[in-house]
Amino acid sequence: MVSDEIVLQIEGLSKIFRSLFAPTGVKAVDSLSLSVRRGETYSIVGPNGSGKTTTLKIVLGLIFPTSGTASIFGGNVADVSVRERIGFLPEDAYLYDVFTGEELLDFYAGLFGYPARRRKELVDELLSLVGMQANRRVPFRECSKGMRQRLALAQALVNDPELLILDEPTSGLDPAGRHQMTELIFELKRRGKTILLCSHFLAEVEEVCDRVGIMYRGRLVAEGTLAELAGAPTEIVITTSGLAPEGASRVGAHSAVLGIDGDAVRMGQESSDELWSVLDAIREAGARVGEVRRPRPSLQDVFVRAIRQDAGEQDVAEEVH
Amino acid sequence: MGNLPFAIGFVVVVALLAVTHRLWVPALGHGAASTWRIAKITVAEARRRRVVQAVVVLVLLVLLFMNFFSYLNPREQARMIISGGLSAITVFGILLAIFVAAFLIPQELENRTVYAVLSKPVRRFEFVLGKYLGAMIILAVIMTIMTVVLVGVLLVQDHFVPDFDHSVFEPNLDNVIFAAVMSYFAVAVLAAYIVLISTVSSTAMTVIASFLIWAIGSLQSQIHDLAEAAETVFQKWFFTMFYWIMPPLENFDFRHEVSNFMHVSYRAGINAAGEGVLYIIIVLIVASIFFNDRQM
Amino acid sequence: MSDRRNRNLVLLLLAAGLLLMTVPLQESIHELRPHVFDPERKTKRVSAINIGPMPAVIAALGGFRTVAADVLWLRVERDFHGGNWWEIPSLLDAVNQLDPHFLLAWEVHGWHLAYNLHAESETLVDRRHYLGRGIAVLEDAVEANPDSWELTKELAWTLYDRGREPWRAAEYFRRADEFPESKSYVTRMIYRCYEGVLDIPNLMEALEYARNRHTDPNVADDVQHQVIVNDNYNWWLQHKDDPLEHRRQIVKENTARAQRSRPFYLYPDNPHWDVCPHCGLPSPKGSEFCSTYGHPMKPSSGSSRSPGGSRPPAEATSI
Ligand SMILES: Nc1ncnc2c1ncn2[C@@H]1O[C@H](COP(=O)(O)OP(=O)(O)O)[C@@H](O)[C@H]1O
Ligand SMILES: [Mg+2]
Repeated sequence: MVSDEIVLQIEGLSKIFRSLFAPTGVKAVDSLSLSVRRGETYSIVGPNGSGKTTTLKIVLGLIFPTSGTASIFGGNVADVSVRERIGFLPEDAYLYDVFTGEELLDFYAGLFGYPARRRKELVDELLSLVGMQANRRVPFRECSKGMRQRLALAQALVNDPELLILDEPTSGLDPAGRHQMTELIFELKRRGKTILLCSHFLAEVEEVCDRVGIMYRGRLVAEGTLAELAGAPTEIVITTSGLAPEGASRVGAHSAVLGIDGDAVRMGQESSDELWSVLDAIREAGARVGEVRRPRPSLQDVFVRAIRQDAGEQDVAEEVH
Repeated sequence: MGNLPFAIGFVVVVALLAVTHRLWVPALGHGAASTWRIAKITVAEARRRRVVQAVVVLVLLVLLFMNFFSYLNPREQARMIISGGLSAITVFGILLAIFVAAFLIPQELENRTVYAVLSKPVRRFEFVLGKYLGAMIILAVIMTIMTVVLVGVLLVQDHFVPDFDHSVFEPNLDNVIFAAVMSYFAVAVLAAYIVLISTVSSTAMTVIASFLIWAIGSLQSQIHDLAEAAETVFQKWFFTMFYWIMPPLENFDFRHEVSNFMHVSYRAGINAAGEGVLYIIIVLIVASIFFNDRQM
Repeated sequence: MSDRRNRNLVLLLLAAGLLLMTVPLQESIHELRPHVFDPERKTKRVSAINIGPMPAVIAALGGFRTVAADVLWLRVERDFHGGNWWEIPSLLDAVNQLDPHFLLAWEVHGWHLAYNLHAESETLVDRRHYLGRGIAVLEDAVEANPDSWELTKELAWTLYDRGREPWRAAEYFRRADEFPESKSYVTRMIYRCYEGVLDIPNLMEALEYARNRHTDPNVADDVQHQVIVNDNYNWWLQHKDDPLEHRRQIVKENTARAQRSRPFYLYPDNPHWDVCPHCGLPSPKGSEFCSTYGHPMKPSSGSSRSPGGSRPPAEATSI
């Protein structure tokens, strides 16, 4: 589904916010480069304040970069024709709160110049897509956070955009809402949309996205598919039951075993002979083998590792100077 | 005397429009449509805001109780009702303009509703213009209601108050309406300035600056006098610049003539309206320059 | 980046061009509304000292001079009906400056000075002062409102009635008479001014003017008046060098005046009073005794009096 066509290209993007209180400026984005291909779901992940929103706003032309460029469909977002093909869900999205869902969607659809009949169909369609049919006549200010977020997503979809830009789509939602939102994003992905989303919430990203860029202090510290980021599995974990302490120490004495956490025996990636001998050792210790896994490191680990690495490099750099 | 600057200005404007026609002509149709949609939703939003509804009711009450000077002679009373009524319309119009226009765009930024709009195919100029037009429609409706009520009060005075000179108000109704329309232009010009300021400053500062501009704009003729009477070249330049930069609010103020039953120059009103429209365009252009460069 | 700067430059130029286009409009407005924009206009020397802080704030807030004038006018109203009369002029000064086209305020201002305060003053110097100020105010008023018939007329009247300046008064009456809304009494006031000072040539001219001015029934009045003036004038021309005739006229006039000033009870056929034959004072009809001194009302001697008691006054008999 992912093609080679590049939909969004960011090159050497930097943004420094200057203000009266910080004359030297806050470097929100620091020479960021990334590209998103058609059909791909790309996720920028990073802790709060790492510059994700700033990046997205630059991409949308809401703020202007200090240096570097961002182009969508090979063009500038300042062009209205480019903005006709994208949809944006802002962070903590808030719409005109005196209006109901259907009025709001009708208004946003109108901004694309659709005729009234088409707008009506579109509003119905979108409301049922985001599951707001029942609440279509509830004013925005009386909506719950989840309803608001779904309306905001619907708002981003009125023009059936090729590229969807979602800023923290699940933040502030309860688990059910988060699940619904993730499902929606899956659905959109299935429909072939290119999605650029950003989040500080990792689990969501793990489920949805094809590629991840890890952002920290305005810089992209790591990028790649989930598998690439996590790297190859490095150890084997054997889950056991009934492993007595004296048996455990015997198993632990095996040269291939790295450590034992309760019932889980961790061993390095040796040959299969080693695995068999460890399994034998466990059996001899009077325990039963439940499961043998080769786990990948979770994105959380990757994330923490990448950030540590980055910070370490910086510290080193500071020491050098 | 004024023809040379006009000619220069005209040539500049026409030349610029001609040179850049490829940029703006194709954008006209869709641009006008989105401007109009934004104006409409601004009006619809204001209609549902309780504050606006409350203000309208309050203003109407004030106007309805205007006829209280019953111990004065009819002519004085006529003068007071007309000048008081027209001033009430102007003051409420301008206060409303300040509080509507000062919040028009900052409110959108604060509520973050602007992101959803500006990520659609809407140019920032269209957004500013649409918001401004919406505010102008709201104010037009409110000021029309106020004018109708004032005219009603005058007619009631003419016909139902005993021993009241029947020829006081009716012959002047057209002038009263004319003065009210002119107040609307003053409000419109001031609102454009407020929108301009609100694109660069905080809401509180905008409100303060609006009051200042209102006061200075109403002292237009005095600034002109100062420029005429200036002793040094610097002073003359300063006051002249000031004179042309500030809104010409006194141009739209016909309350004085109307409430004193003087001759009212409709010609001056028409010219003032034309000039007001030019000023609005100028100010909105500058506002959109600021807003275009605004980081959101 | 530079794209944006170019566009902004174009927009700024456009704005500047449009601003230049407003110049002739503004100039024409200046010409059409000289009372607002003419630097020579009589207005706006308002100070907060005169008018107090509240109206000053209203006025300063721009374009609310009329309302501020109204507020002060209400204060004048209050002061007039039970406040301090002597403070009214300073209030009215402010009203006039705030709103130089508020005709009634000018009129009341001049009238209050030249009539009320003039009459209330206790010294001659004060009287002169207030009269002069009243007239000066009305002159300012006419200057600020040259097309106001009321004010011109008011100034003329004050000059005539209080200022003892009939010639200037006549001039202003003439001016007032040129307004389309002028009334015939203004026309007639012109010759009355000359009449009072016996400026016969101007009087005749003014009468002629009055006769031609109006076509309404009031003309009869003017014609009648012209006839009388003519007669008197001719008579005077005939007799001005004849001292005897002069004296005779004086006697005639004095007699007539004495006749006119005869006490009411000496009128012939008085139905309510009898006159005491002894003291000549009145008593109710039918009294037996004089109600002042108790003289018997019926003459005891046979000499009879006519019931009306037409005793001629002393002065008349002495001449
Ligand atoms: N308008 C602004 N003015 C000054 N600093 C800002 C502004 N917007 C964001 N920042 C700063 O830029 C950094 C990145 O912010 P942001 O992009 O919102 O982070 P994220 O979305 O990743 O949480 C933060 O340190 C924030 O304080
Ligand atoms: Mg953010």
